[in-house]
Amino acid sequence: MNILIIEDEIRIAKRVERMTKEFFLNTLQKITSVQSLAEGLDFIKNNDLDLVLLDLNLNGENGFDVLKETVSGAYHTIIISANKHEALKAFEFGVLDFVPKPFNKARIELAFNRIVKKEEVGTENLQFLAVKKRGGIHLVNIDDVNYIKGAGVYTEIFLTNGEKELHDKSLEKLSQLLPKSFERIHKSYLVKTTEIKEIIVKTGSQYAVELQNGEILPVGRTKYKALKATLFQ
Amino acid sequence: MNFNYLYRFVFIFIVLVSTSCQHTFFSWKGETVYSVNNQNWENEIELKGGEVFFTKTEIEIVQNPVEFQTFGLNLSNTFGEFEIFWDGVLIGRNGNPGKESKSNLTGEMWKPYKIPRHLSQKGTHQLVLKRSLFHAPEYKGLNAFVNDYDYLLEHPLIYTAFMHIFAGGFLLAALYFFFIFLGNKSEKTILIFSISCFLFFGLILMEFIRTYISIHYSQHQIRMEIISYLTFFIAILVPIYFSLQFSFPKRKVILLLYTGFLIYIFYRNHLRYDETSYNMAITMWFFSFAIALYGVYKKYKGALIVLLALLICAFINNIAYFDTSLFAGFAVIVLGMLYMLSIKAKEQRLAYENSLLQSTRLRLELLKKSIQPHFLMNTLTSLIDWVEEAPDKGVLFIEALAEEFDVLNQVENETLIPIIQEIKLCKSHISIMKFRKEIDYIWEDEGINENIKQLIPPAVIHTLLENSITHCLPSDENKMHFKLIAFTTDNTQEYTFLTFGKIRNQQKSTSDGTGFKYIKARLTESYGEDWTFTSEATNEGWKNTITIQK
Repeated sequence: MNILIIEDEIRIAKRVERMTKEFFLNTLQKITSVQSLAEGLDFIKNNDLDLVLLDLNLNGENGFDVLKETVSGAYHTIIISANKHEALKAFEFGVLDFVPKPFNKARIELAFNRIVKKEEVGTENLQFLAVKKRGGIHLVNIDDVNYIKGAGVYTEIFLTNGEKELHDKSLEKLSQLLPKSFERIHKSYLVKTTEIKEIIVKTGSQYAVELQNGEILPVGRTKYKALKATLFQ
Repeated sequence: MNFNYLYRFVFIFIVLVSTSCQHTFFSWKGETVYSVNNQNWENEIELKGGEVFFTKTEIEIVQNPVEFQTFGLNLSNTFGEFEIFWDGVLIGRNGNPGKESKSNLTGEMWKPYKIPRHLSQKGTHQLVLKRSLFHAPEYKGLNAFVNDYDYLLEHPLIYTAFMHIFAGGFLLAALYFFFIFLGNKSEKTILIFSISCFLFFGLILMEFIRTYISIHYSQHQIRMEIISYLTFFIAILVPIYFSLQFSFPKRKVILLLYTGFLIYIFYRNHLRYDETSYNMAITMWFFSFAIALYGVYKKYKGALIVLLALLICAFINNIAYFDTSLFAGFAVIVLGMLYMLSIKAKEQRLAYENSLLQSTRLRLELLKKSIQPHFLMNTLTSLIDWVEEAPDKGVLFIEALAEEFDVLNQVENETLIPIIQEIKLCKSHISIMKFRKEIDYIWEDEGINENIKQLIPPAVIHTLLENSITHCLPSDENKMHFKLIAFTTDNTQEYTFLTFGKIRNQQKSTSDGTGFKYIKARLTESYGEDWTFTSEATNEGWKNTITIQK
């Protein structure tokens, strides 16, 4: 694990660092702590990360600009902030967890467990997927998303208007963040269930779904039952 | 005052003055000829003063008197002491012509004389006056007309009664606004309004005093002087009033030029009193109109109403006699002024309510400093950590926190506190931040003297301190140094707050941040306009300067 802490309160940064070390133990390769957004952005640009722990209010600056940057990255973002009222907005942008200050060891470990156990966040709050584009970060509303296809460490987001966006997060990580309306139907596909028109059963126990727009996507053999259960509930 | 009321009042007033001036026409006056012996008549005559002379004038009565009607002769504004012969019959006497130098002042200027009924028939009649003009030989002109005798007696009284009701209103307004001015001596406009009302009251009184007090022709001039002086001062005060309400550039110079011009008009043809008064009033009107026009252009509140009042004034001037138009015109202008005062009063009330609201808001802002989540939650998180990791330090941390809350509670309801208390607040904040940021913050102050009054609104330096902690980086030895310098003179109080450290983000301006807004609002609350606040980067860090005029 390669972890970055962005926090301007030294005492709190130390506390987070200590607890992170205690949790990840020897799986932790590197942990870095910076005190300003500028340093944080710089570090993100030049390093491969697995997790960013971000305070939203740093030196009087608004952390949401950095938040857009971090949620578009390949790694997960966990917010540690004093302003609880910003939690909802943070979840809309796609953070893995929001740890309100003051926090104890149990609460921060709960957040870390989501990474280790690949738990789904189980929140319906996600509103946007932040994608990197030329000229900056672009927010894709998840209402406009048809399905998402895994492409190695990246994912391709297929939109209702026929366009395609690239996201740096893996399908695994996105499935943790996306609301329940998205269903994993295949090791490479996450589909919005409301877009599914019908399930096609082919010979030789092969399955597929046809979407409202006519596209046909494969359904994994192990995923079929769960999908059927969801659709016919 | 409501605009509707103003409108109705003006309307009723116009109706009143215009109807009161209507009267039936009874006679024509012919040319007047003069004689020293009642025999040789000439068109012109040289008078030395005091000698007896005669005037002969033909008066044509245009209608016969109806049953029981008596005609009267009106010789108002005719100077001198005289005996009146109507068709050769002596019908009245005013003083003792020819004996003025030896007798007391007898006779008066505004008095009708009864014409015997048998001499009142339609047709031409001869009016001969046996006159002397001891006190004013140059005023030998004659003013004569015939009207119903009762009307000549009653009408001036009725008119005077109405005008006095009116004058009473202005006297009350003058007193009322003078008392208001006594309550708040900075309100110059109220004083000017009060004086204008009083002068106007005086003007009406002086104009109509002739109806009930006998005025000898030799005293006429005194009355006219008083009237023209009253008009002069009104003509100066009204534009000053409007210029205070609708401020324009180079006001003093323009007002001085105007006053100079008015003085010129005042003295140019001074003895032609009515003309002088009228010209001064017209000058005042044009100047006021220009000011009101400027006010409308600049969108000053109430300027449109004042402009309207001035237009009504011009309208009255067009339809009414000189006296009436002067009074009615002034009255409408005074109403316009009153309307402006009511607008100002409303504005002041709103401003006061606003200031109360603002004070409450500032108090809340101060309280929020200690409970806003960013401060409180970060402090508590650090505190938990200290308690878990080094309990004895944690206790010190809690004590520092208690200290800051304690000082905040003490100053919460104040608008100004001694600088010593403010420093206490800052020091307790520094203690807390030491625990949170683990930076060695150093406080220093200079020029603080417990024996003199050094005041500051609460949490102003505290806010600057917070800003510095947020926006500055510590030195390489992990130190940050603050210095407060108080500089007190008899008239000013200056506070300079210096931060020695590196600025985190040079581009980022804090001048429109909530912190600065709080500081400025607090200074305005206590000192109005009499303060300055500057904030700038220096080579060593940051410098804030607050200067207060005491």
